[in-house]
Amino acid sequence: MIVAEWKPMPELLERMRGVKKLLLVGCATCVAECAAGGEREVETLAPLLRMAAAKQGGALEVITKTLERQCEWEFVEELAKLTPAADAVLSLACGIGVQALAERFPQLPVYPGVNTTALSIREKPGLWTARCAACGDCVLGDTFGLCPVARCAKSLLNGPCGGTRKNGKCEVDENTECVWTLIFERARQRGQLEVLLKVRKPKNWSRSGHGGPGRIDREDLRV
Amino acid sequence: MSGRSKKFEPRIVALYCANALDPEADLAAAVKAAEGFAVRPVALPCSSKAELSHLMKLLAEGADAVQVIACPEGSCQFLVGSARAEKRVQRGRALLMQIGMGEERLGLARGRGLKVEELMALLERRAGLVRGLGKNPISGEEEK
Amino acid sequence: MSYKAGSRLEKVIAAGNFALTVEVGPPRSADPEVIRKKAALLKGYADGYNVTDNQTAVVRMSSLAGAKLLLDAGCEPVLQMTCRDRNRIALQSDLLGASALGIKNCLCLSGDHQKAGVSGKLKGHPGAKNVYDLDSIQLLAVLKGLRDDARQEGGDAVDKPVPFFIGAAWTPLATPEEFRVLRLAKKIEAGADFIQTQAVYDVKRFGAQLAKAREMGLTDRAAILAGVIVPKSAGMMKYMNKNVPGVEVPEELIRRMESAKDPKAEGVKITVELIDALAGLPGLKGVHLQAIEAEDLLPEIIKAAGLCPRPEI
Repeated sequence: MIVAEWKPMPELLERMRGVKKLLLVGCATCVAECAAGGEREVETLAPLLRMAAAKQGGALEVITKTLERQCEWEFVEELAKLTPAADAVLSLACGIGVQALAERFPQLPVYPGVNTTALSIREKPGLWTARCAACGDCVLGDTFGLCPVARCAKSLLNGPCGGTRKNGKCEVDENTECVWTLIFERARQRGQLEVLLKVRKPKNWSRSGHGGPGRIDREDLRV
Repeated sequence: MSGRSKKFEPRIVALYCANALDPEADLAAAVKAAEGFAVRPVALPCSSKAELSHLMKLLAEGADAVQVIACPEGSCQFLVGSARAEKRVQRGRALLMQIGMGEERLGLARGRGLKVEELMALLERRAGLVRGLGKNPISGEEEK
Repeated sequence: MSYKAGSRLEKVIAAGNFALTVEVGPPRSADPEVIRKKAALLKGYADGYNVTDNQTAVVRMSSLAGAKLLLDAGCEPVLQMTCRDRNRIALQSDLLGASALGIKNCLCLSGDHQKAGVSGKLKGHPGAKNVYDLDSIQLLAVLKGLRDDARQEGGDAVDKPVPFFIGAAWTPLATPEEFRVLRLAKKIEAGADFIQTQAVYDVKRFGAQLAKAREMGLTDRAAILAGVIVPKSAGMMKYMNKNVPGVEVPEELIRRMESAKDPKAEGVKITVELIDALAGLPGLKGVHLQAIEAEDLLPEIIKAAGLCPRPEI
């Protein structure tokens, strides 16, 4: 899923300056899964923002609402009866949700409360690691189900580089496995090392964001 | 100087795991007798019942401090309940520090079969830590 | 004899001599004198002079500029090119430019990640957007395409073949060790004519990997030059052993440096011994000598190792 983290508190507090009535909106899907923007987090952040404002000698009223998903117009519509009371919106959804709110309620400033970072899996409670880079040209079939685009710091298609640490971790981050070491292990276990001997040609990056803002248009799904 | 202002008496919400207290404890009487601070006791079936959002809300509603009382490590009836409570309190303290409220407004203590006197002494310690921070700014009253 | 690019390095290797390349680090400034001084110091001592490309992601004078300055000063450069900062358009463009300026040797690298630029007092550029449009192996294939097919990566033609003597790096002792010789085969398949390895201190372990490469016929298809970094202190050796992937320093060498009265002199001695030992390995075609920010040590080492004068070509 899409994962995100709270923006640093000083940044959030700075953003709240001058706001008197805030509509704090959570999302019950991806960001709830990664404990950044679900109802729990909304109800934790709201009192914090109010106390912070009081500490500065001001007062902030916070209206809270957690939508099922902020990337569906029908759910976003539920906010229409709440927005008239607010002078700003703080969304804890990923960038998609923030933009949906901003588009539906163009008269209100809509601020992001989280930084959306990656497409990740929850490896264990509290640990989310990036798995997919949305590169638009999936190579998982050639790399034994391990993505070198998302999980190699250099996105090598013919890895590993010479920087793999002795313990098999990536030279860039000692907590991250060198994915090419993992790919090699899998190839070896399957007795298919020759798959890794093939020189993989340069990637077509235009299928991901590099070719311009992404767009999937399926006319067959519209009447 | 005429007119002595009232000394700050911290209002503390005590979220206590029922299993941490001596079942014979007469809390109500002890609460009435508290001096120098006011306590609002709230019984929980497990310290983990209190979510981080609850802890933050209690403070946003005007409590000067929130004290969680959990069972000793390794003896939570629900196995990891008190461990979860501890992590939440740690996170809450860090967040309070980040907004300039002072981490001491939130704390966790552990105990088993606590007598009322022990509980009150524990709360007295929390009151002591919080006195220096002053009244919760959200209650809007200036304390001289 | 028909050469791929006709550089001195290529000719020395083709003639069957034990080749010697050295590294020249460009300055963190725009001062050409730094390069000229190093060139004056090292002229005639090596068959090729590597210029690093923003090594460890630290901004330095570009390798292209450094290479041209070396060339003008009479030292044939080996242009190092990483994939970290430039996409395939810029890389190919720089290659055309390098060739136009008379540069004939190019070493293709993936390149250290920009996080490496933050070290010690340096702030570096950890927030830079990295490129890695290609990896080192794809870059090798790009050079081969420009040279042998007069064709760009995307398929467009270039007017004339672009001559390069193509190099690649090899880290034979990095994890996973069992894959490193196979990846070397990939690099040679993709187009590598010569190889410069990561620094060797454990000749035995390196020798074992080299032997495997020899078994696979790789040492005949590409000229492998063993990397040697002149040690300056025991601290430096311990640091490299712990932090530089693929560099394995045997305990005896560290102890030797620790008990040395003059570590600098001991380092020179060790370097000469390493070169001697490496020269005895079957299949090895030369050494690549590096004295980081201490290029002044090189002439004496080269002489002591019996690699001076360089062969007449």
